[in-house]
Amino acid sequence: MERSRLILVVSVIAIAITVAVVIVAAQNAPATATPIKHVVVVFGENVSFDHYFGSYPNAANLQGQPRFTALPGTPAVNGLSGALMTNNPNFKNTANGTGAANPFRLDRTQALTADQNHGYGAEQLAFNKGAMDLFPKYTGRGSALGGTGPFYTTGLVMGYYDGNTVTALWNYAQHFALNDNSFGTNFGPSTPGAINLVSGQTNGAVRSTGTTATDASLVADGAGGLTMIGDPDPTDDACSSTRGATATMAGKNIGDLLSARNITWGWFQGGFDLTVTNANGTTGCARSSYSPIVGSYKSDYVPHHQPFQYYRSTANPKHVRPKSVASIGTRDDGGANHQYDVNDFYAAVSAGNFPAVSFLKATAIQNGHPGNSDPLDEQTFIATVLNFLQKSSEWKTTAVILAYDDSDGWYDHVSRIVNPSSASADGLNSAGVCGTGTPLPGVKGMPVNGRCGYGPRLPLLVVSPYARANFVDHTLTDQTSIMRFIEDNWLGSQRIGGGSFDEIAGTINNMFDFTKARNDTLLLDPNTGLPQK
Amino acid sequence: MNARWLAVLAFLLLNASTRSAVPGEGKLDKTEVREERPALSFVAQLGSKIFFDTSLSSSGRQSCASCHSPSDAYGPPNGDAVQSGGPDMQRSGVRAVPSLRYLEHNPTFSIGPTGTIPDNDAPAGAPLLPLNARSILAIAKSAAGPPAESNVPQGGLTWDGRADSLQDQALGPFLDPNEMANRSSAELFAKLQRTAYAEDFKQIFGPDIFRQPELAVSEALFALARFQMEDPSFHPYNSKYDYYLAGKVSLSDREMRGLKLFEDPKKGNCSSCHIDSISRDGIFRPAFTDYQFVALGVPRNPGIPANRDPHYFDLGLCGPYRKDSNIAAYCGMFKTPTLRNTATRRAFFHNGVIHSLEDVLRFYVERETKPEKWYPQRRDGTLNKYDDLPEANRANVDVIDAPFDRKRGDAPALNDSEIQDVIAFLKTLNDGYRLPR
Repeated sequence: MERSRLILVVSVIAIAITVAVVIVAAQNAPATATPIKHVVVVFGENVSFDHYFGSYPNAANLQGQPRFTALPGTPAVNGLSGALMTNNPNFKNTANGTGAANPFRLDRTQALTADQNHGYGAEQLAFNKGAMDLFPKYTGRGSALGGTGPFYTTGLVMGYYDGNTVTALWNYAQHFALNDNSFGTNFGPSTPGAINLVSGQTNGAVRSTGTTATDASLVADGAGGLTMIGDPDPTDDACSSTRGATATMAGKNIGDLLSARNITWGWFQGGFDLTVTNANGTTGCARSSYSPIVGSYKSDYVPHHQPFQYYRSTANPKHVRPKSVASIGTRDDGGANHQYDVNDFYAAVSAGNFPAVSFLKATAIQNGHPGNSDPLDEQTFIATVLNFLQKSSEWKTTAVILAYDDSDGWYDHVSRIVNPSSASADGLNSAGVCGTGTPLPGVKGMPVNGRCGYGPRLPLLVVSPYARANFVDHTLTDQTSIMRFIEDNWLGSQRIGGGSFDEIAGTINNMFDFTKARNDTLLLDPNTGLPQK
Repeated sequence: MNARWLAVLAFLLLNASTRSAVPGEGKLDKTEVREERPALSFVAQLGSKIFFDTSLSSSGRQSCASCHSPSDAYGPPNGDAVQSGGPDMQRSGVRAVPSLRYLEHNPTFSIGPTGTIPDNDAPAGAPLLPLNARSILAIAKSAAGPPAESNVPQGGLTWDGRADSLQDQALGPFLDPNEMANRSSAELFAKLQRTAYAEDFKQIFGPDIFRQPELAVSEALFALARFQMEDPSFHPYNSKYDYYLAGKVSLSDREMRGLKLFEDPKKGNCSSCHIDSISRDGIFRPAFTDYQFVALGVPRNPGIPANRDPHYFDLGLCGPYRKDSNIAAYCGMFKTPTLRNTATRRAFFHNGVIHSLEDVLRFYVERETKPEKWYPQRRDGTLNKYDDLPEANRANVDVIDAPFDRKRGDAPALNDSEIQDVIAFLKTLNDGYRLPR
């Protein structure tokens, strides 16, 4: 490091420490219902529960791979065993053609796979009236269909990883809390998952002018409006597609509620800082990173993974930088409007400015999304974040929630429909029908379509000094349970309301024991996921 | 210390000073020549067994290694333009065997600017893509940007890029009637079950693996690909040029002159397609190919049995072996191979018509200046230039870039001595260089 640079860094740190003392006091000042003063949601991509935890806690432990052996007393999960493993409905149903398959172990060497189909309608068809037996037919995709990585049969959709690949996540489950009854709020891909995480309301989508009316990412809600079921980029985001459909969202999100109470918060996403130049010379929206596992460069920033960019009140369309590290998370952040780069998270926490509520999204190469990422690169990100936070002085009041935006279409054997829909895109029970009853209201207070859910089951973990150890929670939860926790902790149980799923969301509190804080930490090797020596 | 090494050093220093703030994220010196041999994964070990197994061919005498010979840089073991195979080993192939080395960063096939959009979330409710959605036609239609220059085809494996990955490629020779000649993947599956390493399959992929033929074959192909990805013998990067890039050895005067001619856009202009520099971030050492396709108008090879039919033409990207395109603009285009270890080959270009490096270079510089040396005359005495392409496709041959940008009678871009210089440089790309002690 050059001398001038060093001096600059040293002065910045000095100032930061001074400011930090004041800030930490401010961060911890708001009253909370639990001892948790900092929630960090690491929002990963595209994993069904069975895809990562179907065989938990049993790993094959092939030679030369990170070993996993379950602790004594490890509780069972609702995973894949018995006939589900050896005579699975997807193996028996001949409609799956040559893709008919039993669940099978994906090896650590097979971390890179093709992306499966995770369309709102395709996933429902795979569920086949709840029989859960048409995944190869409707969501299975082999590499020959445009994907990357191993396998040329649609039976790939039945593949699962074990603790030799998702080693870090299994180890976190061993030492902290895992929920095996948690679902995507709705069917469908990334953006509805991200929108549900922050608002529980995918209704109220507004098509950008110029977008063709045939765009399938939004669907008529039956009450004169639109519901988001696909991945349109956020209108006005400087990095959004100039060719594809874009959209905005009406209604409120959790950021609005936190800002109104002056609670610090931020969404921190890889690639958001457009001023950085990467090692390969890319900058701006074109920043890209390389992973030897993926085998190519991928754009760091994915606009349709950033939910707050869809709401006028919380968007930072031009990616304005925070005016200082100390301002991160505050409403006076120089126009960044709570939207930052993932590197800003490390900088803020290091400077003692740890926001109350932080959402983290990795750069694309580390977000876990098949095709552009993989479980090993995802593990690097998660372990790096958790090692970093466990070494922070604020760890004792921190809870990290590991959650996912969608299932990618990977096989899972559990279905739980709580909200029906009869949009044109639905198909769980029959064409245009998903579930029965009256749907929850949309943003205008009328029952709306396009929000059929819960969707596929997804992993959910809590890592915290207050998390129960080696605990499997069976409480029914969904993506909006995370928002409900935030609302309960900081907002006096204020809800988004107006048909948001947060009103009916199950609690994640059972994964905690708030009566006592633990002193142990679990630092993991970001490459192997094994405990650091 | 020469200029190139200084550039490498400067690059490394630059990297060090812009190191990321992310905890635990460092930069490795990728220019180092690796000497140690990493252990192969269990799957890659299985792949190695498959690679050398002759029992998977219908003749019982041919394995992957028969044509992709490990002692010949995984290229052909002899100077034959095409190799023999089939049930009785009496059938001839149709193209020269490409080397399997340096394919670990080979991109999948695409046309036009490579999409860097990282997320390919399916549009909601969209039906599964039909297989032909990745056809050249579909890709060309959907490709962004201006139609002409930016729409260069690139990537994929084999001379026509029809295989998307090493795994995809691996099935081809097993089923090709001129090669290992299994009649179906079911026949291959049956052979796999009888191998001595069938137990390895069960151990790695589960005891039920042989209940699912599709999956078992897919896993076998994956194991082959994994062997090629993991085993450093497929990408050793230990040529003299690699040691030179690492600053461990200098090139001789002749080799250095050859390198300059190789790079000079007005002389050899070779490096415009055969990339010879490290990527800016230091991740990719030079592969000596840009993975793109080009029509060079290589002379017809009468030695290939298939060529006895005067109406048969091997058109590369537009068939007959690649079946998803008949776009005329791409006919006659073949993929640019790596030049690493090319100096050890004895059959060059897709049809193996040329048998020495010297003749390869002469062809490059004389194709336009002295075409009568390379192409036959028609009965009427006119020159049948680009005779391995139908008349209609001959306009696809590259005549714009040096050394092809000349007219008949012009001086060739490289003289005899310069050709020897370039050959001396190309020999520095042979793997297995030993540093003088």
